[in-house]
Amino acid sequence: MSLIENDAPALKSKTTKADIKRQSILLIIAGLYVIYGIVFYYLPLLGWIMAFQNYKPRDGLFGSEFVGLKWFKFLFEDKTFLRVLRNTLAMGVINLVATTITAIGFAILLSEVRNVLGKKIVQTISYLPHFLSWIVVTSIVRDAFATKGMINELLLNLHIIKTPISYFMETKYFWPIVAISNVWKETGWNAIIYLATITAIDPSLYEAAAMDGAGRWQKIKNITLPGIRSTIIILLIMNIGNVINAGFEIQYLLGLGVLLPVSQTIDIYVLNYGMSNFSLGTAAGIFKTFVSMILIFTFNYIAKKTGDERLF
Amino acid sequence: MKSKKIIALALACMMTVGAFAGCAKKKSDSVVDWTMIAFMAGKELNEGNEIQEEIAKKTGVRVKESWNTAQDVASAVGTMIASNDLPDLIDGGNGSKMLAEAGMLVAWDDYLKKDEFKNLKEMFSDKQWELFRQADGHIYWANVFGKTYGEPKSRTHNDEAFWVQVRVLEWANYPIIETLDEYFDLLQKYAEANPKNADGVDVIPYTALCEGWRYFCVENAPQFLDGYPNDGSVLVNLDDPDNPKIEDYNVTPTAHMYFKKLNEVYNAGIMDQEFATMDYDTYIAKLASGAVLGMCDQNWDFAQINNTFIDKGFDKLGYNYIPLGLVAEKGQTKNQWHAYADVPNVSSGVAVTTKCKDPDKAFKFLNQCLDQEIHDLRFWGIKDVDYKVGDDGLYYRTEEMRKNWQNDAFRAKHVCNYSYLPQWGGTHRDGKNAMKPEDQESEFFATLSEPLKKAFEKYNYTSYGDFLRSEHITKLGFWYPMYSHSNDMNSTTDYGAAWVRMGECKHEWLPKVITSKDFETDWAAYQKAYADCKPELFLAEMQKELDRRAALGK
Repeated sequence: MSLIENDAPALKSKTTKADIKRQSILLIIAGLYVIYGIVFYYLPLLGWIMAFQNYKPRDGLFGSEFVGLKWFKFLFEDKTFLRVLRNTLAMGVINLVATTITAIGFAILLSEVRNVLGKKIVQTISYLPHFLSWIVVTSIVRDAFATKGMINELLLNLHIIKTPISYFMETKYFWPIVAISNVWKETGWNAIIYLATITAIDPSLYEAAAMDGAGRWQKIKNITLPGIRSTIIILLIMNIGNVINAGFEIQYLLGLGVLLPVSQTIDIYVLNYGMSNFSLGTAAGIFKTFVSMILIFTFNYIAKKTGDERLF
Repeated sequence: MKSKKIIALALACMMTVGAFAGCAKKKSDSVVDWTMIAFMAGKELNEGNEIQEEIAKKTGVRVKESWNTAQDVASAVGTMIASNDLPDLIDGGNGSKMLAEAGMLVAWDDYLKKDEFKNLKEMFSDKQWELFRQADGHIYWANVFGKTYGEPKSRTHNDEAFWVQVRVLEWANYPIIETLDEYFDLLQKYAEANPKNADGVDVIPYTALCEGWRYFCVENAPQFLDGYPNDGSVLVNLDDPDNPKIEDYNVTPTAHMYFKKLNEVYNAGIMDQEFATMDYDTYIAKLASGAVLGMCDQNWDFAQINNTFIDKGFDKLGYNYIPLGLVAEKGQTKNQWHAYADVPNVSSGVAVTTKCKDPDKAFKFLNQCLDQEIHDLRFWGIKDVDYKVGDDGLYYRTEEMRKNWQNDAFRAKHVCNYSYLPQWGGTHRDGKNAMKPEDQESEFFATLSEPLKKAFEKYNYTSYGDFLRSEHITKLGFWYPMYSHSNDMNSTTDYGAAWVRMGECKHEWLPKVITSKDFETDWAAYQKAYADCKPELFLAEMQKELDRRAALGK
């Protein structure tokens, strides 16, 4: 300690009693948040013990029999779980890529619109679906993609297909349907943050570029995109942890029967198994947490290595 | 900005008022309000339902029933256990055992010993009560269905069958349908001749629900086709009557034949092209539209559409369903679609939870539900308002009373069945009437629609059970039904994990083989995937339970 203090005496000032007194209110408020964090984020983690037990609600957390890694072994020997893992990661990645690209594209298009009223109207309409619950969106999707639904009608009338397609009877359509639903629901909402960043880009850059004879496309490529680059990376890091939350409602509600092999996600697995076998559910949940953490740390590390923005 | 604040303030006020409104209602002090949850589709009663109030006056208890149509009952119950959020009374369905294991149910044992609860005790024989006993030595619930008081009077078929709209039978001049081939042939011919309903809806000759636990609609027909009763998850082979043997109906030649037939009719367009992705609500909506000519299902699973038919006048068009007891081979007499004996499903039933503040009162109330007076109120209604008593002592209804009881809106404000609380079928304690109006001869025929009445006459049948042409077996094995053991298995045991995986495997593969373009290859792949789930572990456990029950019954 003393060494450090000697090295940098000017940087490290001693905390005095007076400081504490002066900031007492702030310290109390901060302390409350620490307590809140411990109570609501860390104490519940005690429940993770269940994953290593044959948990019985009657015997409680401290009375149940310990079984070691039995449930983790069960998970990795379970074909269903491995398939569920694949579905979750696949849908998570597809959704992330699709929603990010469409949101950026939409934000750029919208920022190029000169008519303020038109822009506002389009923006409002486009982010409204975000507020619909999945159960409503699911009904819309179910109707739209039905054999006699609007997608089939459209394709038939455009003579792209000759007979209607049963989208929900074939596994290959399911992931795209989930991605399209996510894009439909979230594009407008996700674009808001990019739009805000674009608005914050110094207009003089565009003026200077215009003087140099840059066209619209060149301005987008050389000013707008680099301008929102750091936002894109930060959002990607934050969302990458969510890849494993590929969804629950839409898969649960739409992925029935033949679609089960491609539709079940970890969350559905936890519900199906974990609510009648709490230990197994907890084990699956712990696994999910670790995958999320590994993804975030890896992506953050890569961002750091390439010298870009990073989360921590 | 200011206007936003005002709106926010107004909203906040509205919510506060809304929250307090719930507390403001005054109810008389002597009546307690309890909640009950059952995992079935049901209709909620209106506040102040007239018969409910009448029962409350006499018993001091008012029960608010909620209906939970969860895809997976065990998960829903697990959520309740985890959140410790329970009603006072519950029918936990497949989750009953979980509730008992979590210590959340009140044991019946002490009450069953006391004389003042003799109505409850009377529900089952001592031996039958033993079947309800759990591993910890206590009894936690009693199934309320399938019990006959005195002479059987049942005219309904509440269970599974291949159903067909009565207009189809009428069109074909009331044939006897025995096999799957004849059944689908009939549906196809009818649909070709009548592709649209009167209101322009396209008919769907056949559909099958395969969502969640309700996939029995597509899954368990092979056991019936082979002439076995509904053991649900296995067959009990009685070739050697002293040595009953568990067998698996998923791998029998009949299973192969049945799914091959479904595959054939699917590819021929006779079967609903979207059957495999229907959820329960969609299914019920399809049935209620009158479009579906036939399906395989339990009557209780779709009986709710009957009142809709009456509302829309569909009953007069012959859209009501008639049950058929199909068999694997023409001329086969082995047939147990309709059970003539009582079937106690010991895996679930009504239970009192530890949340109930006054369990003594709860059991007293359950006991009172079986008092003839309360039982009459629940199922017959109020004398002279809902039914009349003839000079011969027989109950009957006028045309208007019948109409009322078939009207959902009227029922919500007036009728209170408490349909998941203890009840009896069979004969009234007066020895003349039936416990329930639908079993009363005069009422049964008077409430049939014209096309149904005609079908009963043409076939010369007097009950729905007759249509199934089942053997009159009045005493089933003491172990029956075996599904009461498999229902509440879960992945915490080896055999339970095998059972869960078998279920998943079938959920995935059955729609696949039905919609397959190359049935035999897919069937072989399915059978292989099924064998990988280690069904032998499950079957061995079922054999153990069968032996245990058989010994108990001796």
